[in-house]
Amino acid sequence: MSAENGRVLVEARDVRREYRLKGDLIEAVRGISLEVGPGDFLAIVGPSGSGKSTLLHLLGAVDSPTSGAVFLDGSDVTSMSDPQRARFRLEHVGLVFQRFHLLPMLTALENVELPMAEAGLSRRERLERAEALLARVGLADRMRHRPGEISGGQRQRVAVARALANSPALLLADEPTGELDRTTSAGMLELFQSLNEDGTAIVVATHDLQLAEGARQQLKLVDGRIQA
Amino acid sequence: MLIFRYSARELFRHPARSLLAVLGVAVACAMLLDMLMLGGGLNASFRSLLTSAGYELRVSPAGTLPFDTGATISDAAGVRASLEADPAIAGVAPVLGSNLLAEGWESPGETSLEDGPEEARGAVRLFVLGVDPEEQGLYRLTAGGAPAPGGVVIGLELAEEGVEIGDTLTLRAPASFADAGRRSGRYVVLGIAEFLYSAAGERTAAIPLSSLAELTDQPDRASLMMVRLTAGEDPDGVADRLRTEYPGLEIASIGQLVETAARRLSYFRQLAAILGTVSLIVTTLLIGTIMAISINDRYGTIAALRAIGISRRSIVSAFLVESLLLCLAASVIGLGLGLLVAGQLERILSDFPGLPSAIRFFVFEPDRLAWAAAGVLLAGVGAALVPAIRAMNAPIAATLHREEP
Repeated sequence: MSAENGRVLVEARDVRREYRLKGDLIEAVRGISLEVGPGDFLAIVGPSGSGKSTLLHLLGAVDSPTSGAVFLDGSDVTSMSDPQRARFRLEHVGLVFQRFHLLPMLTALENVELPMAEAGLSRRERLERAEALLARVGLADRMRHRPGEISGGQRQRVAVARALANSPALLLADEPTGELDRTTSAGMLELFQSLNEDGTAIVVATHDLQLAEGARQQLKLVDGRIQA
Repeated sequence: MLIFRYSARELFRHPARSLLAVLGVAVACAMLLDMLMLGGGLNASFRSLLTSAGYELRVSPAGTLPFDTGATISDAAGVRASLEADPAIAGVAPVLGSNLLAEGWESPGETSLEDGPEEARGAVRLFVLGVDPEEQGLYRLTAGGAPAPGGVVIGLELAEEGVEIGDTLTLRAPASFADAGRRSGRYVVLGIAEFLYSAAGERTAAIPLSSLAELTDQPDRASLMMVRLTAGEDPDGVADRLRTEYPGLEIASIGQLVETAARRLSYFRQLAAILGTVSLIVTTLLIGTIMAISINDRYGTIAALRAIGISRRSIVSAFLVESLLLCLAASVIGLGLGLLVAGQLERILSDFPGLPSAIRFFVFEPDRLAWAAAGVLLAGVGAALVPAIRAMNAPIAATLHREEP
């Protein structure tokens, strides 16, 4: 949206995303261009089906645009192979989902360790960092608990800690408060604001007005287009 | 290793499902092991039985191998002397076999019209081997001494029926030996022996070859000759040479006999191959189904893991480890179960009529265990590969869209 100090972390250039659903051509994202800088906290809002999640996936190199290009930290992720993009996401992008998607049989600590293990960090490094991250999101006393043993808000905090495991410059969250009550959502907003103040760029796709209003910037999508 | 820890714990997420899968695969593994043991067991057992006698060649009338009491070698002494003159041959053990009637102890008694009315008084059928006590490979003495004129060595069956060393048995040619004029003789039990080729429950005894020839009026005849070679001789080569020198006789090495037996017993191998394949298919289907259900349950999580950068290889490896652990647990149970079932079946089949009781249908060899376990593990991993790869090929964004409300 903006690029503080001229540095651009994410740049989408006229990206379009179309797909077929039961024979019909769906234009989920229709020629969007935007930039996200290192200190940005951007909320993408809009009605259901407006293309928020699709745009978020395109910005995070989870999905490829039908046309246009996405640059992440200067790299054209649209030209990368699938394994290259997976590695890129692992090291540069943190992702948070509405339904947390934690591994139920691993503890909070192990869930946070997982991306670090994939990145090749030693067990000692992983443990130190995972403990620090869980403490950072306020779960120092829940590290050995499994997702089924903690509340929804706590699970989402574990998911945020997992997203920050490999110190990504960009944190993407798709409806992160969708499964949380108002009080817990407020806590999540505070966590995002705090992380953003520490230098992590955050982009959230949300219906949650409270969360959107807490972001530094807002972007409204309607029918796959940015609405001024 | 963290992802593998996840795999191991995932199996405990649905313990009943995992347990059922393990038990199902264990049964298939047991069946596979039994079929592997059956497939090669008879051959191995037959070879072991033949080699245990210590004679490398068998000589018999044409078309009667391995043993047939109906046909005999004529001029047995001449053939034996001629064979013994061959420098490749260290010894020859002639054998004459015949069914006789025996009485003289409190026998259970068995009647048969062909045996004549007097047998109804209590005589039993006895398979008697006429042997040269100095050169024989048909029995191992467990008590007493070797057969001698007027003396008999009895098998364990008769001993179990109460016949003891020092008892006297009357042996008589049955009515079928009309030429023998119903000859009979009294023989003192000199020893008790384990007869290598006796069928289960078969009463067997041995007397000197000349005594049996006289009793059955078969002078200078032998049903079989067992040939011991001098050290370093090639049994197959000597057998091939002797066949040309003695065209009226059937001569075979143990290896050639085993080959012949293997051809005749190919039915068992085919059966084992078919049932073994079925058990591998069952394993594949079971693991494939369980893993497909398990992976389908986790499509959203898989997509999320891929979205956060976990590689396809790591995720597929995790599923393969899950399958491997299931199959490992099943193999441990299955191999034990297989050995148990093989033991039970062996007990039933040891009474198979006409076969030496020393023949084993299920022969345990460590490599059979390894093959059964490897077969199950490979089938399981292969079965898990299909749903795992399918899940890996699902588009991440579309799957997340579907999974998220």
